[in-house]
Amino acid sequence: MTTLNLNTQALRERWLALSASGRRVIYACAGAIAVLMLGSFFHEGFANWSSLRVMLVVASFIGFVAAGQMLVVLVGGIDLSIPWVLNGAAIVLTTTSLGQTGRLPLGIGLALALGALIGFCNGMGVAWLGVPAVVMTLGMNGVMQGLTLGLSKGLTCPSCASYAPQPLRNLFVDKVLGIPVELFVWVGVALFVTVLLLMTTFGRRVYAVGVNPRAAFLSGVNVRVVTVALYTLSGVFAALAGIALVAYGGQPSLGLGDPYLFESIAAVVVGGVSILGGRGHYIGVVAGSLTLVAIITFLQAQRVPEYGRSIIYGLVILAILFTYGREKSNA
Amino acid sequence: MRDLRLRRLLTGSASLGYAVLAATAAAYLIVYTSNLGRLPTSFDYLSILNTTLPLVFVAIGQCLVVITGGIDLSVGGTVALCSAVTATIVDGAGFAPYGLLLFVLLLGTACGAVNGVIVARARIAPILTTLATLSIFTGLALWVLPVPGGFFPPEVRLVLTNPNLPTGLIWLALAVVGWLVLRRTRFGTYVYAVGSDETSAVAVGVPAARVKLAVYALSGLCSALAAVFYVSTTTSGDANAGGPFILTSIASVVVGGVAFSGGRGSALGAIAGAGALALVIDVLFFAGIDPLYQSLFQGLFLVVAVLLGTGAAVVARTRREAR
Repeated sequence: MTTLNLNTQALRERWLALSASGRRVIYACAGAIAVLMLGSFFHEGFANWSSLRVMLVVASFIGFVAAGQMLVVLVGGIDLSIPWVLNGAAIVLTTTSLGQTGRLPLGIGLALALGALIGFCNGMGVAWLGVPAVVMTLGMNGVMQGLTLGLSKGLTCPSCASYAPQPLRNLFVDKVLGIPVELFVWVGVALFVTVLLLMTTFGRRVYAVGVNPRAAFLSGVNVRVVTVALYTLSGVFAALAGIALVAYGGQPSLGLGDPYLFESIAAVVVGGVSILGGRGHYIGVVAGSLTLVAIITFLQAQRVPEYGRSIIYGLVILAILFTYGREKSNA
Repeated sequence: MRDLRLRRLLTGSASLGYAVLAATAAAYLIVYTSNLGRLPTSFDYLSILNTTLPLVFVAIGQCLVVITGGIDLSVGGTVALCSAVTATIVDGAGFAPYGLLLFVLLLGTACGAVNGVIVARARIAPILTTLATLSIFTGLALWVLPVPGGFFPPEVRLVLTNPNLPTGLIWLALAVVGWLVLRRTRFGTYVYAVGSDETSAVAVGVPAARVKLAVYALSGLCSALAAVFYVSTTTSGDANAGGPFILTSIASVVVGGVAFSGGRGSALGAIAGAGALALVIDVLFFAGIDPLYQSLFQGLFLVVAVLLGTGAAVVARTRREAR
């Protein structure tokens, strides 16, 4: 009898925990829809398919970096090395593929490998050497910035002027069922992250480490290996965003990744992931990325000057945090 | 007594900052003399002092916040806003510019207090709160001063960062004394109590919410001071001037041996860390390293300094346990 009681209680608790985190996903989706509706109220055609398609493509870049950021945040970490991993990967792609279709696989492989390597270093520093995540990833960001600038001689090297190969750029031109191929890549990323987190043992371990690393360790989870794997994935996703951005724009530039640090954190939080770790789903992050892009697009359509966009952007994030980003009281 | 003090200097939390500062200073002297064939002149020291002062102030503010277990990313926005306002309004002769400077300091404190209210009362994580306010303050700075420019009265400059007399030393000394006094007040103890264990601190009657509010307000004040000294040194304002201070202030605090988990560290360490970070740039310059590689070495410097600190802590602990 007691076991039965215990079981129903455990089920009940699980349901409550699930719904708490599910509630945040619903909030995030509602937020995205609200911004889109507000936009269509002021501008006819703001949320029609052709405009939404553009917003989704721009949101997919945030979605890629936020996928990595979310994985790291789930275990209570943070990845500040995203900007220059992204930028470095973008430059590696164009300088190795040199605009030739035949060299494209090599370029993509090297760019992703670079992201994985930097992410791996971050993970090793955090998990094995005990360096705080903020410090380790901040340091690696500096290292990548210096290497990128130095080795490309400030993006003036002979091969730095090459464009991304045509097949890659076609990701944004070709459409299947009226949807740019790029968005299918995003769907693939979303499926990968969701399946990884919700349907594998690894995913269970990630949440366990995020909720309580010590308890996870005592129940046999190799916390260090999980941490290193997550930071490595974050590096790979930052590199993927770099590849997508260079495919979109044609050529890399310096400072390409700078806006994506804060946007990745904002998308993760607006998407209902707890910054303290252990709670959140990628579907919310997808909605969060779209919300951020819709806000910016709306402010641009309203012809709000840059300073006003910056102020309103901050206020909106604060408002969202007030709605569902509050922590439990300590007192 | 002297022995005790010496031991504290060598094993205290700020010792990492002192050691790193001493090492960078030595490296600076070596590359400077081997490059130019003479020792640095007083002019060199003075220009280092004046250009480092803004970072020193931001680092003190960041250190206070980090000791309570938080982080302040909005320092970039506050420095930008206050430097824009300073370069726009501070003018006139006699006492008028000082009154306006006071207004700038109040503005910075108010910016910090906004962070404090949100963190302490609305219980939103510090990193998220200050990320949002960073965007707001930077926007306000762009509104005040859309393009870099403005002015700064030369008479006030002679008082704050005189290019020929070490007036900057007075302000640095005041900052150090201010910290030493603050550290010994009841408020100073509260700051450490909230940082080491907030729940226990609340349980024994520490007004944690008010302490946090005050700490963020102080960080805003420090950012405003940094902005004033920045404008005084460069004689112009820039709405984008704040950005670099976010990461360099965090780096100074880390190199200065302040623990990110809260409750441990000293602003003296953060000041030493700020000095070391500023000197590294000069070391790289005189060592003839391509400026494009500058951030590579800054990044490595940050990670290695922290690893040294962790290593030293491990060695100290094992030695204590062996005894």
